[in-house]
Order: sequence, then C-alpha cells, then structure tokens
Amino acid sequence: MQSNIISRKRNAKIGQAIMFASTAFALIALVALLLNVLNRSFGNVIVRREIEPSVLSPTPLEQLSRDELNALVKRIADSDDYDGLTRGAYRRLDSEKPFAERSQAEILTVINERLIKEEVVASFTLWQTLFEPASVNAELAKLNNARKAGMPEARVEFRSWVNARFFTQTMGSVAELSGIRTAILGSLAVIAMTMAIALPIGVGAAIYLEEYAKKNRLNDLIQTNITNLAGVPSIIYGMLGLFVFVRALESFTSGAVFGIAGNNGRTILSAGLTMALLVLPIIIINAQEAIRAVPNSLRQASYGLGATQWETIRDHVMPAALPGILTGTILAMSRAMGETAPMVVVGASTFIVSDPTGPFSKFTTLPIQIYNWTAQPDEQFRNIAAAAILVLLIILLSLNMIAILLRNKMRNTN
Amino acid sequence: MIPAKRPILDQDLALLQDNILRMGSMVESMTEKAVRALKERKVELAREVRAEEKVVDQLRLDVEEAGIRTIATQQPLASDLRKIIAATHMAVELERMADYANGIAKIVIRSIDEPLLKPLIDIPRMQFIVCGMTHRALDAYVKEDANLARAVQAEDDEVDELYKQILRELVSYMSEDARTISRAMNLLFVAHNLERLGDRATNLCERVVYAVTGQLHEPKPKKSSIATLG
Amino acid sequence: MLAENASIFYGAFRAVADVTLPVHERQITAIIGPSGCGKSTLLRAFNRMNDLVQSARVEGKILLDGDNIYAPDVDAVAVRRRVGMVFQRPNPFPKPIYDNVAYGVRLGNPRIPKPELDAIVEQSLRGAALWDEVKDKLKESGTALSGGQQQRLCIARAIAVQPDVLLMDEPCSALDPIATIKIEELMQTLKERYTIMIVTHNMQQAARASDYTVMMMMRPDRAGEMIEFDQTEQIFTNPRDKRTEDYVSGRFG
Repeated sequence: MQSNIISRKRNAKIGQAIMFASTAFALIALVALLLNVLNRSFGNVIVRREIEPSVLSPTPLEQLSRDELNALVKRIADSDDYDGLTRGAYRRLDSEKPFAERSQAEILTVINERLIKEEVVASFTLWQTLFEPASVNAELAKLNNARKAGMPEARVEFRSWVNARFFTQTMGSVAELSGIRTAILGSLAVIAMTMAIALPIGVGAAIYLEEYAKKNRLNDLIQTNITNLAGVPSIIYGMLGLFVFVRALESFTSGAVFGIAGNNGRTILSAGLTMALLVLPIIIINAQEAIRAVPNSLRQASYGLGATQWETIRDHVMPAALPGILTGTILAMSRAMGETAPMVVVGASTFIVSDPTGPFSKFTTLPIQIYNWTAQPDEQFRNIAAAAILVLLIILLSLNMIAILLRNKMRNTN
Repeated sequence: MIPAKRPILDQDLALLQDNILRMGSMVESMTEKAVRALKERKVELAREVRAEEKVVDQLRLDVEEAGIRTIATQQPLASDLRKIIAATHMAVELERMADYANGIAKIVIRSIDEPLLKPLIDIPRMQFIVCGMTHRALDAYVKEDANLARAVQAEDDEVDELYKQILRELVSYMSEDARTISRAMNLLFVAHNLERLGDRATNLCERVVYAVTGQLHEPKPKKSSIATLG
Repeated sequence: MLAENASIFYGAFRAVADVTLPVHERQITAIIGPSGCGKSTLLRAFNRMNDLVQSARVEGKILLDGDNIYAPDVDAVAVRRRVGMVFQRPNPFPKPIYDNVAYGVRLGNPRIPKPELDAIVEQSLRGAALWDEVKDKLKESGTALSGGQQQRLCIARAIAVQPDVLLMDEPCSALDPIATIKIEELMQTLKERYTIMIVTHNMQQAARASDYTVMMMMRPDRAGEMIEFDQTEQIFTNPRDKRTEDYVSGRFG
C-alpha cells in the first residue's frame, strides 16, 4: 500500500518533469528565434561617404531651407567641381523635375545620391557590436587603409534597421534605402480582400451548419470535409488559386471584364480569393464553436416569446457569438498574414515599387519580401530581412493579443 | 427585497380562525340560551340550542378538513403549523362544549312540564363564569396572548367550587325528600355539564398557550380537585 | 386549453402517451411525477416548443380555444405568442432589463411608439412584482439581477406579449426558498389573468401553488402517461390511484 503510493508519486514526478522539459524546449526555441532576429535588426554599421557634408556647407544640410538648398545645388553645379553633379547633370535633373518645384527632402535626396554617396559598406550584428568591438574596429581600420585618396574616413555608426525610413520606403536595389511600405500595404490589401470575401461566407456557412442544417449524412460529410480542409497544406491552395483564379478566371481577376487592360491575373483579387479559400475553414470552424457556445437557453427564451428562427439568430445568437467569431477571424487574419507559399504560387511580385491601388493591382506581401531579401547576396539585405521579420512578428503578436483580449472580454460578459 | 407573503396559507389560516371564533361564539350563546331556557322555562330556546348544535358539529368537521388540507398543500411550519394543530384541537373541544350545552337543552325539554326544584342562583352564576372563560379564551386565541389564556385557566377553580356547592345542596334536597330526586338529578346534570364546560374552556386555553408559545406541557398551578368528582 | 389523446414522439420513441387533459382557464395546473416521466415534454407540447427538436412529433390534438395548435395551417410562432413560457433556469437576454421586456413586444409591433412601449414594460414588470426593485436600473443588464429577480424578469418578458396561457417549466428549481415563495405568490396574482401550467419536481410546490394537479408516471415501455388528474387538494389528501398515493407520500419505488 505504502510502496504503491511512493511509486505512484514517483511516476507523477517523472511525468511532470517531462512536461516541464517540453515547455522549456519550446520556450528556448522561441527565445532563440527572437534573439536571432533582434541580433540582426540592430547593430553597428560602417558608413562611408565620398564627400563630407561639411565640405559642401558649413551649416548642417538638414537645417537649410528649401531655397538655401536650391542655391547650394545650383552653386555646386555651376562650379563644376564635383563629378556627381556637373552642369549637364543639373540640367537633366532640372528638366525631369524643376528644382524650384522640388521639396527640401527631394533636394536632400539628390545631394545624398549624387554627392555625399553615403553607403553602408559593412554591418555587424548586435552581438558583435556589444561584445566584439575589436572586430568592428579592425574592419574599420582595414577599410580606411584601403580608401582612395581624398575620400573622407569611414565611420562606425549604430543603426536600428527598423526605422522610420524603413516603413516609408519601397523596395530598392540598395539595402539601406529599401523599405517595406509596398509590402505592408500589399499585405493589408490582400488581408482586407481576404476578409471581405471569407468573413461573410464563413460566418454564413457556420450559421447554416449550426442553426439550420438538419442532422443527416450529407451535412456530416460537409462538416468532416471542412474540418479536413483546415489541415490541407497551404501550397495546395496556392496551386488551386493559380489554376482557377489566376489562369481560368484571368479575365475577371485581371479586371479585363471591367475594362481595365494591361494586367495579368496575378492581382490582389486573385491573392485575396486564394487566401479566402485558405482561411475559410478556420473561420467556419471558429464561428461554429462560437455559435455552439451560445447557451441553448437563450434560443429557447427567444423562441418562447414567439420569435422566428431568423429573429432568434439575428437578435441573440449572433450578438452572443460575435466575440468568438471575431477571435477566430483574427486568428485567421494572422494565418493569412504569415502565409508565403500560396502567394509565391499565385504570383506576388518579387520586385515592385508602386503601392497597390485597387483590387487589380500587382502586389507583394511582407513574407514574400522577407523571402526575397534573405535570398540576396548582399550582407545588408539580411539586416533588413531581419527587421522585416521583426515587424511581421510584432504584427502577428498584436493580432493574437487582440484575439486573446476579445476572448477574455467574452468570457467576462457571459 | 419585498417580503414573501404566502397569500394562500394566510388566507387558509384566517378562514380557520374565523370558523373557530364562530364556533366559540355559538357555544357561548348556546350555553347562555340553555341555562336561560332552564331558568325561564322556555322550551323554544332549548330547541334553538339543539339546532345550533348541529351547525357546530358541521363547523368542527369543516375546521378539521381545512386543517388537513392546509397541512397537505401548504406545508405550514413553526407557528403556522401550531396554529393549525391548535385550531383543530380547539374545534374538537368546542364541539364537545356544544354537546354539553345541548345536554342542558335536552334536560330542559325533557323536564319542561315539571316546576323547578328551587330558584336558580348558582347555576346561572356558573353559566356566567363559563361563558366569560370561553369568551376570554377565544380573545386570547385571537390576540395570541398566552398570559390571558393562563389567567382564564385559573378561573376554572371558581366553577369547580360552585359545582361542589350545588352538589352538596342538591344532595341535601334529595336526602330530605325522595320525591325531589328526579328534579334534583336534572339540576345536578345541568351543573355537571356546566362544570365540564369550564374544564373544556381551560383546555381551549391550553391550546392557545401551545399555539403561541409552542409549550404543550404547562406546569399546572395546582391539581384539579374535580378528578374525583367528574 | 385541452389535450385530446395527445402522444408525443421523438423519432420512434413515444415519450408521452395518450394524454387527455382539460386545462382550466385562469387556474393553475401543476404537472408532477418522477424524473423522466415526460412532464416537461408534455408541457412543451402546449406551445410547440418540441418543434425545435428535429425528430419530435405530436399525435392527437391540443386545442387552444377550440383550435388544434398542431393543425397544418397553424404557425408555431403564432402559437408561442399566445402561449408564453418560463424556463427552468432563469434565462434573461444579456441585454438591458428594459429591452428584455420590450423584445417580444417589438417583434410583434416593430413601430410601437416609445411611450406605449414604456407603459407595457412598466405594466409587465409590475405584473411580475419586479418594478419596484428595478425601476431605477432599467438600463442595466438583466443578467446582473439575482436568480429570483431574473426569473421574475423572465415572467415579465413572457407576459409583456399578453399571452393567454403561461407555461412554467420548473421555474423555481434554481431558486432559493424565499425566491421560490415569491414566484408562487406571483403565480396567485397572475392566475387572475392567465391560465398557468407549471411543471415541478417539487410536490410541495404543486400542493402549495396549484389548483389542479396532473400526476404522470412512466410506463414500462418508458412512455409517460397521465395517471391522475384532479383538484390539487384531492391529489394530496385523497388520491384515487395507489401510485399517486405512493408518490405524494414519498413511498415511490
């Protein structure tokens, strides 16, 4: 008897230890991922300029007004001292867009691109920055020794790759000038399209299955299939989207039937439709759960007062199920936000600098952007890829947070 | 919070009380009428008493039935339960009391042709005390006043004393003149019935005390001396 | 109302068999009997709540003012507006108290003027003996009330649509004794205007609060049947059927 209890307690302890180890492993993996991303998103860089700004103007350029900058540019062009901005180059630029009409920021960009030519020549991880400054200095010294005569010395700067410019710039061939604006806008547009399609269909299907469908073989089959669909690999949905939406329905998804010419089927609409298919099972299953969780007593109360089935659903079931449906929707959104494979297949653009303008635009999404950047050979692209991953993670975490808050709110009110 | 009221139970209890009071006042008037019939030689009064006795019998059955129904359907507890139990007991007592008054009326009817043995003094006095006891016992019942009920119980001693006095007096009549025996016996029965009425009135009081306090066993103030005579 | 040879089926299973029951107008009829004898099923047949169960079906007739409520041309929704229901667990809508009461009224008359609706809400809450307790918090949620108050709110909600009959399915089983007595007391005033049927597993409640009592019992084939129907006091003091006697005296089984 006594020994039995001891062995049972020992077994319990072992079980507990195994579970703790699993949790710890998951936690460590998560922390490692996060650290890796953070490690690359911040850190020192070595910046090299061809001309120091102080040579061009005694006051810092940022403090000059638009007119003063204009005068400066004109003076530099007239002097013909710098290869970057000769008189001919000035005329060409002026004919593209007269300097008198350019904003201060635009003129600054011209000065940066043509004269100062600031460029990150080497970047370091956060780890190297904090704990291996010697390697940074060694690299700096090497670069300075090798520089051409007359060039200013390269400098070490601390850089957060996640910065304001990162959010406002489009893609570019230079890493430190590239941003994720197009990708974020593209992602948002695709998500919006996805939700606009999937939410009404999903909720409608859930209501039908829970409230109206009679219990029979056909409906059981439908139910089973929806559950199974939630587990189908996303690439399959991508293939489906490619064949159906991009190819077969091209005239519709490219906007040709609406009189918009010059597009192919690889549009936000196609992507949204594909994603809608992908998240539909998730939305349906979650909405079903939420509807099922509405206490039957509420329905009976409504019927008992002589409400019809539709009135009961509209006035009582839906309001009570709404937080649950929203939770499921947000989870579906974060799934769609992070999906890459179907987007690749459906044909998100790998390089695009224009913002999406409507359902028939080309687009790219954040995960695609990250995927592209990680494939680039240049070291700095890995930094901005990490920064983009950080942004994506933050977006996903906030979406999940909202879902949790909604669920808690629902629990409290019931 | 509005207090819960239990309207049905309250209504039942009120009805029960009404019936007890009705029975009580009938018993009072029956006793008074029976003795007056005896004294004034009025046979029609005695006949009224006999008719009323049947009404009281019926009321007693009504009270019992209502009490059972209330217990069965309303599950009265605590004071409500005591009130009902007390009321059904009181109904039985009152019905017996009506029987005694009826007994007096019967004697009156039977002996209406004979003159009275003697002028009546103690018997009307007994009747007066007994009716007063009955009246106050019912008063105590309505007012739920245990002290009043206990006070009424004490008055029974006076009734007992009067009875003993009448007994002695009638025995002396009978031993002097054997021809008076039957008339004396009639008066003796009347006195005996009045004495029993007094006892029953004290029983009513006991029930009132029970209904109010929940106490069934009251320490008796003194032993009744009637046991040997009754 | 009147049930004539009513049998209730769930699929092939007969839950209630051949009930013929005259429900006296403006009286309280209680249905008692052991668990699973079909009390609630029978009650729900009186406003077609069983229709919500896919396989349920009724044979025989249940008449409301002489019309069979199961006739093919009768709409269950219309029946339920004339035969209201109060459930076992208080189930107010998670909405303000006012909207709880107003809901049924608005369904029937979406354009009802506000003052008129206000009057109906007040009248119904008064009718359910709840007005004094909630008149200052009509905008608070009905679910914030105590159990007994919630149940009275449910009664107010049911009488707001002015039904003829009120069905109560064990309305006090989730309430404490004080709240229970209040509901019973309320039933006594409600019966002046409504015919009331109440299912209760509490015999004492049937005894206290009803005028007529139906005794039901399960047959060997598990169908519920009515074994005795009489005035309540008769059932509780002098039942005709031995099984009723055993049941009400607690010697069942």
